[in-house]
Amino acid sequence: MIRAFVLAVSLALFPVPGLAHKVVISVFPSGSQIEGEVGFTNGGAGAGTLVEVFDGDGGKLGETVTDDDGFFLYTPTAPVAHVFRADLGAGHVAKTEMSAADVAAIVGKAPASQGSAQAAAATPGAAATIAYAAGPATSVAPGVDADEIARIVRDEMRPLRQEIAAYKEKNDLQNILGGIGYILGLSGVAFYLAARRKLQAAA
Amino acid sequence: MHIVDGALSNPVVIGGAVLAAGGIAKGLRCLPMEKIPVAGTLSATFFVASLVHVPAGPSSLHLILNGLAGLVLGWAAFPALFVGLLLQAVFFGFGGVTVLGVNTFNIAMPAVIVGCLLRSRLQSGTPEAAAVWGAVGGGLAVALTTFFVALALALTGEQFYNAAKLVFLTHIPVMAIEAFLTGSAIYLTRKVKPELFEAVAGAGS
Repeated sequence: MIRAFVLAVSLALFPVPGLAHKVVISVFPSGSQIEGEVGFTNGGAGAGTLVEVFDGDGGKLGETVTDDDGFFLYTPTAPVAHVFRADLGAGHVAKTEMSAADVAAIVGKAPASQGSAQAAAATPGAAATIAYAAGPATSVAPGVDADEIARIVRDEMRPLRQEIAAYKEKNDLQNILGGIGYILGLSGVAFYLAARRKLQAAA
Repeated sequence: MHIVDGALSNPVVIGGAVLAAGGIAKGLRCLPMEKIPVAGTLSATFFVASLVHVPAGPSSLHLILNGLAGLVLGWAAFPALFVGLLLQAVFFGFGGVTVLGVNTFNIAMPAVIVGCLLRSRLQSGTPEAAAVWGAVGGGLAVALTTFFVALALALTGEQFYNAAKLVFLTHIPVMAIEAFLTGSAIYLTRKVKPELFEAVAGAGS
């Protein structure tokens, strides 16, 4: 018994990269669009995943597909809560929500022409082209362009956001030892109950 | 292996919870005082083993070791694995709290099946033969778990054959490793502590 316990503890102390292969999905405002990322927490494939978009009541608003790096773009048209759902098969499902207030801020920013181009939202390729082609086109304009600055800041922030997302999913030793502690405690409770039953039976 | 929140339909989630509750109740009744330390140790082993990752293609897989739990504990594997799963859901977000019942059933039921089928073979025969049966049990438990996972997904709406094939194929390396680990563990136990299996037989199920 002690041997098995020592084995369990030494396994816990073994420096295994403690990453779950959990699916994560995150979304953030990106100018007039919503940008998001789908992937396994260990950095695995999220490429070519279908991401479905629903409103708060479960009605489907549209869908988009991730690119090779697991990123996707979606252009919101109505200031309602957006729920993004990705299904990577075999029970790997991830869901996230962007609140109505956040979406309203994005929709408010969108140019009128983009609002009518609802069909373009369903094809992320086209949406991506619009988003990134806008960069060089506006940079030739004199003066400082707010959209351009926003784009640069977003690009600079992206690795940081990924790192924070990865950090949130990290399992550290404290958690593992804490879990083992809980199991020990529960065994103790089970012992207590068993002992009480035995004493009552004897009495 | 752990199905996450939101992947299954409500009837499947509720059905899984009812089956798991039944299994846990039965398991607790089959857990005499002498078996509590073993149950706790195997619960901790399962909890930790799931953090050991086996890289496989784009994703990675983790060990389950439910075969070992079933061979040693029988029905008592239900509460032991349930505790491990609960803590994994709370600490690491493996699976989720609403699908806990389904996950418990998917992982503990194969353990019980393997335990009932093979336990008698572990007590009789040489340690070498017991090791072989232990390896068979370790592999079989994972295979059965993939079957139950695929079944849960199929009841929700995914094509059973596709889901089963995907889950089964990606878990072949896990089966091989678990078969080896379970076989080794059983061999070691038979050599140094053969009374472990006899005690289980005495407790009965």
